[in-house]
Amino acid sequence: MSERLDNRLKERRTELGLTQAELAERVGVTRKTVNTVENGVFVPSTILALKLGKALDRTVEDLFSVIEE
Amino acid sequence: MNAYLAGVLVGIGAVLLGAAIAKFRSRHLMGSNAEKAEVLSKRRARMLPPLAAIFLAQQASYFSTSSITAPRTVDTVKISAWLILSIVLLAALATKGFWFHSKEVRDLIDDENTRANRSQAMRTGFLFAMGAGICVYVVTMFEPVTAKEAIHIMMSAGIGTALIQWGFLERRAYQDV
Repeated sequence: MSERLDNRLKERRTELGLTQAELAERVGVTRKTVNTVENGVFVPSTILALKLGKALDRTVEDLFSVIEE
Repeated sequence: MNAYLAGVLVGIGAVLLGAAIAKFRSRHLMGSNAEKAEVLSKRRARMLPPLAAIFLAQQASYFSTSSITAPRTVDTVKISAWLILSIVLLAALATKGFWFHSKEVRDLIDDENTRANRSQAMRTGFLFAMGAGICVYVVTMFEPVTAKEAIHIMMSAGIGTALIQWGFLERRAYQDV
């Protein structure tokens, strides 16, 4: 059984009216990193996940969840 | 002047010229550090595959020079220049790169995703270099291979594949799904 990280980053970001670039600037990464996390290409570190949670005013659990396939 | 030394000087000259062009182009970069990092990061993603092609094409000079005939001076110069390019590319792979930019911009360019891509590319490069080493070892059982030739093959396989994969991963990271 494999596991995949699902995220609701894009929904929350658009809810706040932020662009990828604006969110990237808030957490101190490039837009590329935000894009790859949103697309599920890249699994962020705990530090980045916490920063994203803080920037989007949500807990890490609200933004990320593990899906078992 | 010794042709090898001339090649090293040509290589250093080419690197300095490249650095000067990069610095000149970056002079017009406006905006915040994040915007500069975005532009430079995209530029790097575009440049990596052509750089790998140039690097591997230079390698061809070495093998086009038959070990039976004496190498021409121009080939010796090219081979030495290739060594300098190898060192620069290896340094770019192993460090954050963009040495002529501020620390803030360099830290941003080398963010979490870039570090992961770079690590994966270096892992692939290492595996290909080792694979090339095994192939060379097998070939030596049937045909003599000089130490120089073996080193050229392993370095080309390692650095070339690492650059290609890094470029591929960086380009993929910018694609919107």
